[in-house]
Amino acid sequence: MTSLRSYSNDFTKMVFVFAFLATVPLWISSVGLYDYIAIEIIIWCIYAMGYNLALGYTGLPSFGHGAFFGIGAYAMAMYQVHEGGTSLWVGLLLSILAGAGAGGLSALFMSHRRGIYFALMTIAFGQVFWFVAIKKREYTNGEDGLLNLERLPVDFGIFSLDVSSNQSMYFLGLAFFMLVVLGLWTLIHSPFGYIIQSLKQNETRTWFLGYNVHLFKWISFTLSTAISGLAGGLFALTQRSAFPDVMSLHWSGIIVMMTIVGGGLVSFWGPVLGVMFYFIMRDFLGTYTSTWILWFGVSFMAVILFEPHGIAGLWMKISQRIFKMSPGHRLLPPERTLVPTPEPSNELV
Amino acid sequence: MNSQPLLSVDNIETFYGETQALFGISLEVGHGEVVALLGPSGAGKTTTLRSILGLTPARKGRIYFNGKDITRKPTHKIARAGVSWVPDDRRIFPSLTVARNLKLGRKRSPFHSWKMKEIFEIFTALEYLMHRDCENLSGGEMQMVAIARALLGSPGLVLLDEPTQGLAPKIVQDVMKTIKRLKVEGISVLIVEQHAQLALEVSDRAYVIGRGEMKFAGSAEELLQAGHQRRVLLGM
Amino acid sequence: MTFEELVPHLLNGLSIGLLFALIALGFTLIVGVMEVINLAHGSLFALGAYLALAVYGYLEVSEFGFPTRSQYATALIVAPLGVAAVGMGIELGLRRTYGKDPLYGLLFTFGAALVLEEAIRQRWGPTERLLRAPADVSGFIELGDIFYFKYRIFASAFAVVLILLLWVLIEKTQLGAIIKAGAHDSEMVRALGINLPVLRMFVFGLGTALAGIAGIIMAPIWGVRPHMGVDAVIPAFLIVTIGGIGSFWGSVISGIMVGLTVGMVSAYATEWSILSIYILLIVVIFFRQRGLFGKASGLDK
Repeated sequence: MTSLRSYSNDFTKMVFVFAFLATVPLWISSVGLYDYIAIEIIIWCIYAMGYNLALGYTGLPSFGHGAFFGIGAYAMAMYQVHEGGTSLWVGLLLSILAGAGAGGLSALFMSHRRGIYFALMTIAFGQVFWFVAIKKREYTNGEDGLLNLERLPVDFGIFSLDVSSNQSMYFLGLAFFMLVVLGLWTLIHSPFGYIIQSLKQNETRTWFLGYNVHLFKWISFTLSTAISGLAGGLFALTQRSAFPDVMSLHWSGIIVMMTIVGGGLVSFWGPVLGVMFYFIMRDFLGTYTSTWILWFGVSFMAVILFEPHGIAGLWMKISQRIFKMSPGHRLLPPERTLVPTPEPSNELV
Repeated sequence: MNSQPLLSVDNIETFYGETQALFGISLEVGHGEVVALLGPSGAGKTTTLRSILGLTPARKGRIYFNGKDITRKPTHKIARAGVSWVPDDRRIFPSLTVARNLKLGRKRSPFHSWKMKEIFEIFTALEYLMHRDCENLSGGEMQMVAIARALLGSPGLVLLDEPTQGLAPKIVQDVMKTIKRLKVEGISVLIVEQHAQLALEVSDRAYVIGRGEMKFAGSAEELLQAGHQRRVLLGM
Repeated sequence: MTFEELVPHLLNGLSIGLLFALIALGFTLIVGVMEVINLAHGSLFALGAYLALAVYGYLEVSEFGFPTRSQYATALIVAPLGVAAVGMGIELGLRRTYGKDPLYGLLFTFGAALVLEEAIRQRWGPTERLLRAPADVSGFIELGDIFYFKYRIFASAFAVVLILLLWVLIEKTQLGAIIKAGAHDSEMVRALGINLPVLRMFVFGLGTALAGIAGIIMAPIWGVRPHMGVDAVIPAFLIVTIGGIGSFWGSVISGIMVGLTVGMVSAYATEWSILSIYILLIVVIFFRQRGLFGKASGLDK
């Protein structure tokens, strides 16, 4: 089991990350970027961390997660535009529920599949949702999107905080990021977390241990879509609009690539690293060439071929060599790979 | 006749993943020799053949064929060098006709090329099977096709894995006759068998493997006669 | 809806179905021989159309005019060769993933699909383009009481010819026998002296070239857009799932069935006809046993 020391290790890391992120608005313009990008990054971090619950921890290859991010965005947008809503909490709650609802519905059909068939189904669902978003103009305004949203204030009853400035919006995003991280961390270190990691390694074995594997896959997927919905709602607030394009296969692919390149397959913080990598490419490389996203895709392909454990995996390898220490504490064997343990071979000698 | 052995396996160690299956196996097959590889099931006989073929390459040690080092070379190159394989499950392609299966085996090599006429001489019933689909062949027919296919590859060495397994006694006799005919043609044979008696009747020499190690090597006569020794070694 | 009104939709469905079958055949060739789900198949379908545009550009065919027969034929030959080259390049990359969990291959081809689509977008822009066939196969033809698109008949006929040629290749030639053997038992094929890596590369090239050709033939019907690929690869996967992996006629018949379904849906709810494929995929995978024609494969892990 995990030692107390490893818990405190993890908490220290978390505190460092939060503290670092809290300082971002102070220095972001000095590196040639601005607050708006910081908000994008923090929201995509929420999205990616939620996504990795499904991919990295449960082994569910979802290529259609953009749909749930988009549905969360539309929930917030439609709440404002169609219902005239003014409560941030209600709006975000709707985003979460919408994401979870769509995700839960999809997962009903998918949770008894795995591997390639699961992946293809996620693509199909993603396309269906994206298509509906484009065609049902009476709700979503189609490709023109829902515009002119308000950044609803953070209302605690006694006082409320205005988030119309980018800096304050960033801190709102950061607050949710911290909540999501804490929540996910607790979840992953709970019995639920053990079970989903076990089923990623070997579904059959987990069945035999008495766990309803389909149910756990469903729960994990739905939770991850709920988080994606939350991120989508925050995204709608940030850009003050909601469009269908985040639901396309293209954008669903980007979250996959971010998560894997960062090392989500082996590391809790992998997705965050991946998001950072993407935005560094976009905002630094992107100033020189419009083909930067092509290079991002190419680096993803290279990662798959040469270092499937991504940036985090590379870091672990390097720090193992430099510091000659074990690569951190993990609940299961060190190699949390994408590949579930193959069923025992029947090959006779 | 060449003084160098045609096939020389030198102290190979082979693994399946991290499990070691062969712990330093060495054997030789001379030109025109029939050599038996005996031992109980799971001992490593098939693994040895697979290592020679490069399907499960040896991690350590060397394998030489016809003067060339074939250790860990790609399988298709080893096959083209003149090694043919008749696996224990025959592996005829079921969605093809007999004729197509045979044609797939045809290739040139440094060794004698067989004409279809010669093949039909050995396997008389084969001529009538040529246009049959391989899905519905009997065990004996499949074996015949598998061996014929191996011969069409112009081998210098034929690796036979359990050639008599599951066959009727009459067919078994045909197989034995074929092996003797191969020897007459100067083709070497390495025959893996669980049923030692049969193999020893056609072989010149034999090796006995147990648990991935070479337990015994000698002439077939020795093994046929060394009564209780044989029983102990082979569990017969 | 009267039967007469339905007929054009059914014919549309049939022609789309035949083209889907072509894409699926290339797809299943690759799955059969290499057990790789090539998600880039759709992008290669798109690339076929775009390379044909490039050939037209080189031959100075105006985008709103019609190509001559020889210009069209040139595009139809050169563009798929370009697609095959890219396909073989992808296969080279895929080699590192052989033997590992098929999900790695899936991810790699997924990445390739996105990179290809983006490359297309960079080179040719995001807006829809026109790819025309020669004038004598455009326009209408009278079929009894209705007027029907000449081009769709041409496209269907072309697809049928190509399918038959492919069948002859697979069933009647030595190369086809090697491909079938390689799909069935790659170890034995190596032990017979056949160079498996070369075979695999060839099959990938052939399969992707088929997708490329389909892209060119489909273009006058569907239009040419960077993300047209998804709408090709998903039907391919659907068809192969229904028809069974490795089953030639399974793919053809399922292809036609799926096409007819799309045709029927478009008769009643045109906007949603493409969506019907995705919904069909969900339903089929949900209820899937072993497909109608084929056997289990490594994908079932």
